[in-house]
Amino acid sequence: MHRLLAALLLLAAAAPARAAAPDPGTPAGLTALVKLIDDRQRNQGDWKALCYLEAKEKGKTDVVSELLVFRRDADDKQLFLFTKPKAEAGKGYLRIEKNLWMYDPATGRWERRTERERIGGTDTRRGDLDESKLADEYDAAYVGVEPLGKYQAWHLSLKAKAGVDVAFPQVELWVDQASQNILKRQEVALSGRLMRTAYYPRWKKVHSPSKGGEVWFPEEMRFFDEIEKGNSTLVLIKEIDLRPLEANLFTKAWLEARSR
Amino acid sequence: MSARLDATRVLLRIAFRNLVASRVRTVIIGLIVLVGALIVVVGASLMESIDRGMRTSIQGSLGGQLQVYQSTSEGQLELYGGLRGESLLDPIPDFARVKKVLSKVPNVKTIVPMGIDQALVATGNAFDVTLERLRADVRRLQANPRDGEARRGLEARQAHVRRLIALLDQDLRQAQVLADPDGRDAALRKAQRADLDRAAAPEFWPAFERDRLAGLEFLENKIAPLALDSGFTFIRYVGTDVEAFMKAFDLAEVAEGKPIPPGRRGILLGKQYAEEWLKLKNARRLDQIKDKRDRFHARIASSEELQRWVKDTRSRAREILIQLDPLQAAEAERRLRPALKAPQGEELPALLARLFDLDDANFDDHYRIFYEQLAPLLRLYQISVGDTITIKAPGKTGAFNAVNVKVYGFIQFKGIEKSGIAGTTSVMDLQSFRDLYGYVTRDKAEELAKLRAQMGATTVSREEAEAALFGGGASAPLVETTRTAAIDDASLLAGVGEKRKAAQALETRAYTQEEIDGGVALNAAILLDDPSRIRESQAAVQAAADAAGLKLKVVDWETASGMVGQFVLLLRGILVFALVVFFGVALVIINNAMVMAALQRVKEVGTMRAIGAQRRFVVAMLLVEIVAVSLVFGVAGAALGGGVVAIIRAAGGIPATTDLLFFLFSGPALLPHLGVASVAASLILVVAVAIASALYPALIAMRVTPVEAMSMED
Repeated sequence: MHRLLAALLLLAAAAPARAAAPDPGTPAGLTALVKLIDDRQRNQGDWKALCYLEAKEKGKTDVVSELLVFRRDADDKQLFLFTKPKAEAGKGYLRIEKNLWMYDPATGRWERRTERERIGGTDTRRGDLDESKLADEYDAAYVGVEPLGKYQAWHLSLKAKAGVDVAFPQVELWVDQASQNILKRQEVALSGRLMRTAYYPRWKKVHSPSKGGEVWFPEEMRFFDEIEKGNSTLVLIKEIDLRPLEANLFTKAWLEARSR
Repeated sequence: MSARLDATRVLLRIAFRNLVASRVRTVIIGLIVLVGALIVVVGASLMESIDRGMRTSIQGSLGGQLQVYQSTSEGQLELYGGLRGESLLDPIPDFARVKKVLSKVPNVKTIVPMGIDQALVATGNAFDVTLERLRADVRRLQANPRDGEARRGLEARQAHVRRLIALLDQDLRQAQVLADPDGRDAALRKAQRADLDRAAAPEFWPAFERDRLAGLEFLENKIAPLALDSGFTFIRYVGTDVEAFMKAFDLAEVAEGKPIPPGRRGILLGKQYAEEWLKLKNARRLDQIKDKRDRFHARIASSEELQRWVKDTRSRAREILIQLDPLQAAEAERRLRPALKAPQGEELPALLARLFDLDDANFDDHYRIFYEQLAPLLRLYQISVGDTITIKAPGKTGAFNAVNVKVYGFIQFKGIEKSGIAGTTSVMDLQSFRDLYGYVTRDKAEELAKLRAQMGATTVSREEAEAALFGGGASAPLVETTRTAAIDDASLLAGVGEKRKAAQALETRAYTQEEIDGGVALNAAILLDDPSRIRESQAAVQAAADAAGLKLKVVDWETASGMVGQFVLLLRGILVFALVVFFGVALVIINNAMVMAALQRVKEVGTMRAIGAQRRFVVAMLLVEIVAVSLVFGVAGAALGGGVVAIIRAAGGIPATTDLLFFLFSGPALLPHLGVASVAASLILVVAVAIASALYPALIAMRVTPVEAMSMED
């Protein structure tokens, strides 16, 4: 289950309106582009989304579920609330800063999940649960323009800055020239081994009345595990709701009340 | 007839004369035979006893005589766990049908359904557990502000949390002394310090009273994560028809608590599991030190292991401090001071340091003081009889499933109580196992397929991902404009409110035998009326399953025991290998000695041949010599072996020093049994080896002619 959450957390945040296209060929343009990518994963408002998750793991039954994702960027809180299938409905993951809580309505119990206590076999990684800080954590290099199917993409290679503790020492990004949306992301281990590839083939923009501008979100995300071949995760964001959320939504009491 | 008797008499006289005449050679060969017979008798007795012990342990704990599981399974049945830990068996979809078909097979007495797997038990860190209780008090007071019991509970819990905060404060200050003030995590540590200062400040609790839920959120998310103790433990369990299980497995007994009532959900925790994983670490260490001192006569002064354990006990006193609320801590001080003859005013941390400052002189006293004075104030086990625990496991649909089960008691298996192999297995009802296992029924599969279709999810392989997602054929444009939706979460979550009530109703429901049988199991144990007819019954059960179209594999208890059975095979292999090497060497030595003897006696043999002795007579003479030596010394060796076995038994047997040995010995020590079969086998073996080694020398002697003998110089 962590794997699915990790997938969602990666880019599900709505992104602010698009800025003027920076040119990564120049140092200033490159910095501006990486900052833009960070900004697109950071948002100053509330939102909730109805999502679909599908995880395939070799030799296991596919995990298929529908869930609601609630997020408040202002204080970095998230709630994942499963709605389908029936057996999963009502189960929730509440994330408050570094704390990840899991709630099961059938048992009425909360359980703390931390990095130390993660369950074997899931591929949650340190950093997945944090907001994007590419500009702070990595030094970016511009590799060039590369075709990705019918699109022209800027290929950026990011290497971790000295002394910064990150999950992956190297990240490769392919950013669509026309829309400046990420199309592809690869995470590479210190040994140079490719660990995970992600694709973002469809983006949506939506007008946010509260912000008076457009926000962007990836409608489809696909994650492929490069170590355990055959393991993959699909995330579809079906609907997004930008209205403000209840003030006490990110509390245990709110989630408990849903199952009473 | 009488001529033959005369010949035999002459043969024996010559043979014995030769044996006496060549005493050194006779003694060398005899000693080799003696040691061989001794090894065979002692080795065979030990192996036979291990076999019997293992049979008792496996058949009486989980195995029965036969086991069945789905033949399509990727893995093999491993009753006591394999290397990968998780079960690799395909489920038996309808146990009731298996039971119906196999019950009719002759000699089948009982069939017990099982699902053996691992799960997680959330125990929470001490802070989380206390805060969870505080939250429960807050909930009760919200529901009824005049609830006096909840109010008292809240106050006691608040006092405990204050104490935990004070201890955490000390820890953090110590950690910060060592930390680099300008290090990478400086900002984080500063924030933690501020949070802890806020929680420790006198105005925190009045503020808590004004908004308890907000106070709890702060403590749970800011303070509790600073306490780094573990929050869960693994549990290995067998989900089963508990009533049938307790009847079928005669070693199983409820050590504490009571059996699960018929048809009800519940769990009996493995007693040894509770000792090893749930017991307060210091209490466990004290038990271990006592066991080593009492059973193995180890001493703290001379045993590095015990010294390490004593050191470990000293360093873990904090776990006791965390457990006690202020009132309990004061009571502990009041009890420990006189018992330890400590000065008035000595506080609990110093008293605990004194209590756990163990040496051989004070150990027995301090052990008694711990259990008599301190233990009654402590929660010795993280889970107690009567608790309801939450067990979680990854289900077959990939999601984590969780069930609440009541702990009715601790279970142990007679004779192998201390074995970590059987003793750590807990026994749970089959319905809870099925909930955890999350078998994908047809209904569930249809629900998932429908959801997938509704959402328009498509499968894209890694290899074709870029072409499919970004190529010319990609169906949707990269960017689309949409409108903000009005997601109605209340309607999406309709029915969730009933889940807890439904689950609570199940906790007290009694299931019928049809409901228990009618569902998924991973394997089933078969117990036979006459266990000695196991091979015949195995074939009959397999034939009946095949005839009914059940895709079952039938294995015997030894195969089903997995790695444990393989270990015994390995032991047996090592013994056989050692015997082969020993007798190989013996064969060469005896052969050499006999060849030398044959060459020394060429003249004598020639003379005998000259006066009419047949070649057959010469061969017989040498064989009689070797058979006589091997029989005399073989019997002596076997008798000595019997003596060794008797001494081992008189000394209380070979002690089981590890979990595996406890299990293999089916008890705390191996008491070898001297069997007639092993004595007879040892004699046959040594005589056969001796004869084999004498064949070549006999051939040399047989070929000696009188002419050759006479032509030899002295």
